Amino acid sequence: MSANAIEIEGLTKRFGNFTAVDNLSFQVASGTIFGFLGPNGSGKSTCIRMLCGLLQPTSGTARVNGHDIRQDPEAIKRSIGYMNQSFSLYRDLTVMENLTFFGGIYGLRGDDLTRRRQSVIDLVGIGDYLDRRAGQLSGGWRQRLALAAALIHEPQLVFLDEPTAGIDPVARRELWDLLFDLAAAGKTLFVTTHYMDEAERCNEIAYIYLSKLMVQGTPAELKQLPDVSPEGTRRIAIAAASPPKALVALKKEPFALDATLVEAEIHLLMPSDTLDQAALDALAKAGVESGKVRPIDPSLEDVFVTITRKLAKENHQ
Amino acid sequence: MNGLLYGLRDIVIKETLHIRRDPATLVMALMLPLIQLILFGYALDFDVRHIRTAVVDYDHSRESRAYIDGLRNTHYFDIVADLPTPDAAYDALRRGDERVAIVIAPGFARDVAAGRRPVVRILLDGSDSQVANPARSALMNAPNQMPTQGLTAPDVRVDVLFNPDVRTQVYTIPGLVCVLLQLITVSLTSFSLVREREQGTLEQLMVSPVGRLGLMVGKLVPYSVIAFFELGAVLGLGYLIFDVRVAGSVLLLFMLAIPFILAALALGLFISTIAENQAQALQFTLLTVLPSILLSGYISPRENLPGPLYILSEILPVTHFIQICRAIAVRGAGLWDVMPSVLALIAIATVLIVASTTRFRKSVS
Repeated sequence: MSANAIEIEGLTKRFGNFTAVDNLSFQVASGTIFGFLGPNGSGKSTCIRMLCGLLQPTSGTARVNGHDIRQDPEAIKRSIGYMNQSFSLYRDLTVMENLTFFGGIYGLRGDDLTRRRQSVIDLVGIGDYLDRRAGQLSGGWRQRLALAAALIHEPQLVFLDEPTAGIDPVARRELWDLLFDLAAAGKTLFVTTHYMDEAERCNEIAYIYLSKLMVQGTPAELKQLPDVSPEGTRRIAIAAASPPKALVALKKEPFALDATLVEAEIHLLMPSDTLDQAALDALAKAGVESGKVRPIDPSLEDVFVTITRKLAKENHQ
Repeated sequence: MNGLLYGLRDIVIKETLHIRRDPATLVMALMLPLIQLILFGYALDFDVRHIRTAVVDYDHSRESRAYIDGLRNTHYFDIVADLPTPDAAYDALRRGDERVAIVIAPGFARDVAAGRRPVVRILLDGSDSQVANPARSALMNAPNQMPTQGLTAPDVRVDVLFNPDVRTQVYTIPGLVCVLLQLITVSLTSFSLVREREQGTLEQLMVSPVGRLGLMVGKLVPYSVIAFFELGAVLGLGYLIFDVRVAGSVLLLFMLAIPFILAALALGLFISTIAENQAQALQFTLLTVLPSILLSGYISPRENLPGPLYILSEILPVTHFIQICRAIAVRGAGLWDVMPSVLALIAIATVLIVASTTRFRKSVS
């Protein structure tokens, strides 16, 4: 197996006049947790469908686990796992029946099936619920079951399309612990998510917007991008007694290049030569009591917001 | 403000918007009564005319031809075949090609000339009481309506074949079996793919190595078993309650049910590939029910149907299985007698499964 689980080369998909995926090229190294991010409608799902062999590209190609998506989509289907954002197992079948079925359609029979099934049951820890109908499981358990089904044929590469959408924080954390275990065992995980804390957990991230790849790199690399922290700017956090009022007040100031609210602090991007005092003065003028000021690094959210706004502005001109 | 009616105006506006966003349902709601009108208007025509009739004329005389022309002019009988022997006529009736055979013995002209009543033997398919009874009375009365040029009214002797007592149940029960069977199979399968699509499980299947045909046929198999059980149960009850026996081979009937059940299941599957949700699947299924009852020959003979409706009836699997079922159960027909219907069913099943598989590929993309 090559060092890359996925190699994408100029991948493009058009539906009529609409280009859903535009000349995408990037690699996903084996054994990594790869975050595939982008706003809804940016082409993520279309890209995943092509990588899974469901959809043929208009031009360009990709190799998944060494198989070309144009020439051998069926080989790809056998070698990948897939877990959808919406729970997509049979609700009227029990946990056990679902796992048996999904093992069966990947060609597992007899002892192999029993062994693999037990292995994924142990992995996700769903042993207590084997006779329960899938539809009666809570959201977190459903996603564990879906993960177990996606892993039953021992794929080296698993696509997870918003695996944690709509489940509670504890279940989310537990699912991610499972994903870490899988990555540690050498599996490649291709994950889409809208949660920034989940993006932070990825080894590498690709961000697409309006069908195009915007940036790719580790979370740390992305935060260092010049577009995110343009030369001559800096970021500070200001504690405030009434954060929403503080935010509204600061956004009116010409030096506030970007401002948002995190917990009880205002995160502010401003020219390097603007003094902290200018911001504090603006707050005092608005009658908002301010607290400590500290310098901060950009967050991943800052990265995506800045890049997206920059492109939207360019498109507007 | 009246508390109970509060919000009425806004709900009305909202519902109107829903209807406008879903034109398919609106079209269905408006079209269905029109379709029903046409179906009921044309199909429920019990005034039987144009009965398919064969002639075996041993006399070949001007008189015998005049008699046959006279029958044709009543418009009750369409003379569609000239057969050499009564045996050939019997086979044609058993196959269901014709429903009446008129056998004119040699000496017809001689008897007329001698002032005797010539004997005319009639073979009548009794399996369809709605055709058999009017046909018999038309034959009996025919000479009286004819402009007879000194023709003595012939002595008409009618042999009712297959269902000599012309019992209605003998005719309706085998047809009902077919209609029920199609109803069950179509409604069972039409929901299956739509449900998978709605629940997102279809996508999960499509990223697996499951083949499209494997999925389609795999879905059909369990429902086929149910349908077979149903066929046995309905036939058994028909025998126990209504004393309707299968005159021919029960084994053959069950074997020939395979292409029918496949065709009906494939029809359901096809609906499943065009319907976007389960509500639409239900509407489409209902759309097949009325033609299956009215056009299939179950209630009234298909001879009366105008061209387009006749063609539509040919597309319905149930039409062909009713012919098979009546031929075997009532007339004791064998495999070769019903071969055209069997081939039609196989063709329908093949086209529908291919169409479903193709449509399914597109809908996944």
